[in-house]
Amino acid sequence: MMTHKERFLATLANAPVDRPASWLGLPVPAAQQGLFSHFGVNSIDALKLLLDDDIYPLEVPYHYPPSNHIACAFKFAKVNHDDTPDERTLTAPGFFEDYEDPADVDKFDWPDPARYIDRNEAAAMAKAIDEKYARMGVMWSAHFQDACSAFGMEKALMVMLMNPEMFTAVIDKITAFYLRANEIYYEATRGYLDAVLIGNDFGSQNGLMVDPDSLRTMVFPGTKLLVDQAKSYGLKVIHHSCGSIYPIIDDLIELGVDAIHPIQALAKDMDAPTLKAAFGGKTAFCGGVDAQHLLVHGTPQQVEDKVHELKELFPTGLIISPSHEAILPDIPPANVQALFNALTI
Amino acid sequence: MNTQLIEQIFTCVEFGKINEASPYPATMKGQPGSDELTKLALEQGYDPNVILYDALIASMNKVGQKFSENKIFVPQMLLSAKSMSAAMAHLKPYFSSGAVKRKGTFIVGTVFGDLHDIGKNLLSMMVEGAGWEVVDLGVDVKTEKFIETLKLYPDAVVGISALLTTTMVNIPQVITAIREVSPATKVIVGGAPLSADFAKSVGADGYGRDPQEGVQWLDKLAS
Ligand code: B12
Repeated sequence: MMTHKERFLATLANAPVDRPASWLGLPVPAAQQGLFSHFGVNSIDALKLLLDDDIYPLEVPYHYPPSNHIACAFKFAKVNHDDTPDERTLTAPGFFEDYEDPADVDKFDWPDPARYIDRNEAAAMAKAIDEKYARMGVMWSAHFQDACSAFGMEKALMVMLMNPEMFTAVIDKITAFYLRANEIYYEATRGYLDAVLIGNDFGSQNGLMVDPDSLRTMVFPGTKLLVDQAKSYGLKVIHHSCGSIYPIIDDLIELGVDAIHPIQALAKDMDAPTLKAAFGGKTAFCGGVDAQHLLVHGTPQQVEDKVHELKELFPTGLIISPSHEAILPDIPPANVQALFNALTI
Repeated sequence: MNTQLIEQIFTCVEFGKINEASPYPATMKGQPGSDELTKLALEQGYDPNVILYDALIASMNKVGQKFSENKIFVPQMLLSAKSMSAAMAHLKPYFSSGAVKRKGTFIVGTVFGDLHDIGKNLLSMMVEGAGWEVVDLGVDVKTEKFIETLKLYPDAVVGISALLTTTMVNIPQVITAIREVSPATKVIVGGAPLSADFAKSVGADGYGRDPQEGVQWLDKLAS
């Protein structure tokens, strides 16, 4: 039998596995109680053990109130809100809304990540995890989404076309922040981390939100730096983007990502057969079990059938996981159980 | 009447040219945008109805079509909508005087619990660009807010957006409340996890996969 890590690495390499690799994802707090009582456990760790899950996600200890979350590292929003991942909307008017001169980029009080990342805590958290797991730092480093909130998303998307120098000045600053933050984290966890999750949402249900050319000129250069940095520490890179992103999958492969997450199965051209036909063997995927209909409304039998179908299409090269990492409270725990049962039977 | 200005305004809206100062698109740099051209057209005595229908509505229809086919994306569509609004601002007095009539009023909001608004905003812009008055209630809109607003605009059509499976289940509550106070009100729903079947099952009158489908459905109501 393979260890979690061996299975994970073999999947990314499109090499044979004893069973498909899996990732439970990150159940939101409101979904946890239901899962705990269904499975008779009292923690996510115990649940992962029970499910024989392969990936262990590690959050970055980032002490920057009120969110204390590195995905909310910049206070761009002009309105007052708690700025937690759940309340941030990206569309709220942002600091750079009325700036046009790229030189003004320094008017924002850019945070220094060194002040907020707890190196010792990061190291301790990583060391505490069984090394047989695939230990994955949840970095996000969502430079594009942050650039959206820097202006307010709609304004940002227009600035991309009207004033690309301004957009670039802002996104480059954000990328620099993440490169510094990640360096601190990667140094602190050296030897105790196997992979990272980074990325941005580029897709909606029916297609990309932004044209591929704009992404290529303004967003992917930052992605490239973030990917290269992780690789220089020997880390595997899982790239996250919700929605329909088919036209840029080749770009992501080119950028060197090891796997593409979360494969939103019902979004346009994101079904497993289409991806297999176009990209099978060229990269790996993580996700694919539809969380917009199947996991919510389907029966456990239907979930099992889907996982069997995915196994057949991807005997390797796919880490089976819900098509959104945030397991919401409307997913019946019995369907999560069915997903994991089907991995081995 | 010479239609050259109408064609120019159409082109500005299609390609997102707002005004002379706007650097986008690069190929139209330094040229007047829909703002200046609409003003000029009105000064030259063009019928505001012709500007509205043959330039703005027709062009936004083409924009919606291209978006639907993934030929353009959200940034391009936002700039087209901006260009359309710049022109529409000059038509305001004609709406007030009754010289130009809107097709109706559209109340739209993202259902309570849900904060996604990019799609809803695009829909608002497209519906406005199709000649409707739009009352946008924003995100996380409670049932009471829909009802209060409907009382202010009793003939309005209501649009509800939801992007989450956990919030699409809030839609029936809004529809039930609408039916109680105003059985004749038409309701259309849309958003990533929705489908025509879902719309039917919750008693909505219409479903739109994208703004283009929404506008087509609304226009059928208006005709
Ligand atoms: C951008 C985004 C966000 C942004 C929202 C920014 C904003 N201000 O809107 C942020 C990061 C804040 C966010 C947060 C969350 N999100 Co989100 N998000 C998305 C994403 C990637 C794109 C949505 C989008 O804006 N698309 C662009 C616009 C133009 O398209 P659209 O919204 O689909 O609308 C189009 C049509 O649907 C239609 N339309 C829309 N409304 C209406 C209404 C009518 C009447 C009509 C006719 C048409 C119509 O017209 C639009 C144009 O074509 C989707 C992925 C997806 N597949 O859609 C996930 C997605 C919707 N999110 C998801 C989730 C889980 C969340 C969170 C719960 C995650 C979390 N734990 O934090 C939170 C929830 C916050 C909340 N309470 O609402 C999941 C939902 C899964 C599910 N079970 O339903 C999705 C599907 C991603 C996934 N991988 O599964 N999200």
